[in-house]
Amino acid sequence: MTTFRRVVGKLGALLLTLFLASLLVFFSRFLVPGDPVAFLLRGRKPSPEAVALVTAQYGLDLPPWQQYLNWLAGVLHGDFGRSLQYRQDVTQVIGDRLPVTLMLVIMAGTMIAVVGLTAGIVASLNRGKVLDRSVLIGLTVLGAIPSFVGSIVLIAIFAVQLGWFPSFGSGEGFFDQVYHLVLPSIALAIVFVVLVGKVTRSSMVEQLGREHVEVATSRGLKRGTVIRRHVFRNSIGPILTVSGVLVAGLLVASSIVEAAFGLAGIGSLLVQSVDRLDFPVVQAIVLLVVTAFVVVNAVIDVLEPWVDPRSAAGAGAR
Amino acid sequence: MPSRRGHRRVATIVAAGLGVALVLTGCSASEPEKTTPAEWELTTSTAAPSGDIDSFTWASYAEPYSLDYAYAFDYADNQVLANVCESLMRLNPDFSLSPGLAESVTHPTPETWVYEIRDGVTFHDGTPLTAADVVASMSRILDPAVGSSWYSVYQNVVSIEQTGDLQVTVTMNGPDSQFNLGMGGSAGVIESAATLAEKGADYGNSTGGVNCTGPFSFKEWKSGESVTLERYDDYWDPELKARSGEVKFLFMNDANARVNALKSGDVDGGWMIPADAVPQLRTSDQGDMLFGLNTAVSNIVISNMEGPLGDLRVRQALLMALDREGIVDAALKGYGDVTDVMTTKSVWVGASDDALNAAFDDITDYDYDIEAAKKLVEEAGATGAELTYVTAPISSDFNVYAQATAAAATAIGLKVKIETVTPNAYTALFSDPSAREGVDLFYTSWYLSSPDPLEMYSVLRTGDFSNYGNWSDPEFDAIVNEAATIQDPAERSAKTAEAQQIANAQLPWLPMLEAPTTLFMGKRITGVTPSVAFLYFPWAATIGAR
Repeated sequence: MTTFRRVVGKLGALLLTLFLASLLVFFSRFLVPGDPVAFLLRGRKPSPEAVALVTAQYGLDLPPWQQYLNWLAGVLHGDFGRSLQYRQDVTQVIGDRLPVTLMLVIMAGTMIAVVGLTAGIVASLNRGKVLDRSVLIGLTVLGAIPSFVGSIVLIAIFAVQLGWFPSFGSGEGFFDQVYHLVLPSIALAIVFVVLVGKVTRSSMVEQLGREHVEVATSRGLKRGTVIRRHVFRNSIGPILTVSGVLVAGLLVASSIVEAAFGLAGIGSLLVQSVDRLDFPVVQAIVLLVVTAFVVVNAVIDVLEPWVDPRSAAGAGAR
Repeated sequence: MPSRRGHRRVATIVAAGLGVALVLTGCSASEPEKTTPAEWELTTSTAAPSGDIDSFTWASYAEPYSLDYAYAFDYADNQVLANVCESLMRLNPDFSLSPGLAESVTHPTPETWVYEIRDGVTFHDGTPLTAADVVASMSRILDPAVGSSWYSVYQNVVSIEQTGDLQVTVTMNGPDSQFNLGMGGSAGVIESAATLAEKGADYGNSTGGVNCTGPFSFKEWKSGESVTLERYDDYWDPELKARSGEVKFLFMNDANARVNALKSGDVDGGWMIPADAVPQLRTSDQGDMLFGLNTAVSNIVISNMEGPLGDLRVRQALLMALDREGIVDAALKGYGDVTDVMTTKSVWVGASDDALNAAFDDITDYDYDIEAAKKLVEEAGATGAELTYVTAPISSDFNVYAQATAAAATAIGLKVKIETVTPNAYTALFSDPSAREGVDLFYTSWYLSSPDPLEMYSVLRTGDFSNYGNWSDPEFDAIVNEAATIQDPAERSAKTAEAQQIANAQLPWLPMLEAPTTLFMGKRITGVTPSVAFLYFPWAATIGAR
């Protein structure tokens, strides 16, 4: 029953968040200076009737609230309008590019999980030793590398100098695509590996110092069992919370990596569309990122009690 | 049709890290600048191919907005479209105009143009070209719902009618020599009427594609990544039958990535090489760096005639204070020439010798002279006046133009405020009068799309859309309007030369320099003709195996 109420509550909060986000996303475009129609014309001399007709075609002649309602009605039917720059349905424009970004995020996410967790766990179990220090220093150094610098260094070394990986494009077919996305996903993963690694380490270290761990150890349980059952399982809460933030971070950071590697993903599309006042595309992408973020966090909230029973029972149980 | 160089939308985020890459890849950015001036010559053709080739790849600085000829108005769009769709007239690499899909054109009365459509031409879907296709394609430019970028070519058109099995007659509201000259560009492209009707709003986008008559047909457009064309086997003109089975255009927004791909041989060629990369690519063993005919002139646009620059003496002084030789070296690495007029000789097709002398020799030279310039500013009582110069982080040379203009102004007692805006806001300067409020100066590189210098000067008539400073000279207007009605190119050139002299004396914009069209051709391929006509001529068809 409590789980059900929790889920319903979460769902309500989720819908409210999305609604508020849609308002923000839509109306923020009126704060940006510049006329989309002037941009459509791109400095060309139009016929006077054409300006009026083109304005009407894109519904830009209506009052803002009516534009919002039309847009919202469309969005609820899966129609995000038409892109001004591509003269194409927004769903088509985004649909063409979404697979690359998803693939990139999945590959980077896997690297982050594997490398970040491993680094964090190894460091915490060797707390204070040379290995711990090396991991911490390594993570700090990596954390100082912005994605665009990482991208450029990776291209320079592995694509241009060594020629092991392609320097641009997303490839054709599954395996070629994975091959093309290796360097970009590393560039994207770097900063987040650091985050996950550090959170994992500190969370584990905190648990290792807890009484129940000492009790378990003194009862003669094997070290591996103690770490798996008592330490890691109790450490997972903060790691999950950070992972939720990661999803939005990855989607946003992908724009830099995609631009550097010439990938046609939604990140580079977002940057381009902002620059070209292509509001329907910007609105759709931002809404998509917000939705992904909100949904992932809601799922994590729902999942957390199962992984870590303490959070369902309240913070008292130790 | 006013054409503006809007090609440089570079990912600025990446640019900040460029230095790292240059060091790591051993590029020459940190080497000392050469002190000798750059030497180059214009290439008019490259060796004919030794044979056909399966495919080649081409680097484009950006993705086309559209392959719909009604909107194709920029380097990225037109360099692709030129190989797929053909116009009534053909603009050749030497900028001459010859028959295209129209086998012949006659001009029975000053108001009418009669096009005899070529027989035996087929669209890529195999259907034959008819007069109805011509009428449908041309009428689209006039349709306000389409909102074509080429409307200004058609602004004097009254009707477009089929007057025979393979004959179309265009009637104008008065004599207009410029209409037929525009038929060599995108404004004269002919598409299948059935395809236009079938594709509707999706015509020309990445899913709709196009169905034209050119040597290559549209095969695939991978959004954000590439466009692939394939040879059309039933192409009508044996002279321009494609030598390559396929061409793939790769969109590489990052200039550094583009240059790397050319240097490593990953990509076979590309137009419009970033100036920084020209010296590197000239020494590359992966291919040839070539220079071709261009029509573009770099100008500082005077966008406010109400301010201090409304005084001719201040405009003259500013131009005299610009170290234009220095700008050529800094912005173009020396690959360019200083000019005092707003057109290149290449567009004066059919001009008389007298007209050329008047237009290019019998003019004022604004040699670098700070002292004389200072005096002019004092005479005008403008010393201490403040000007606003707008620029954008579009490519490295933009910064050179901004800094050089500010330095010139400061040297002669003016103050300059440089305002840096986003590339998009910069684009708005060209279309939105409200974006130009309070702006005195900005930079443009202006190319012409027809073989006639009048295209440039028609833009500066009183009240024209692209007359950004609302400069007005009734005598100039009268000369340009009269020239437009003259059919004979030699006779017309004499009038146009008068217009050029007035612009040279009055300086509605400050002409700075002209630069050649740049091209890199990899070592696998040959046959291309380096010329800015690549925007309208099927240049890729002539490329084959080296």
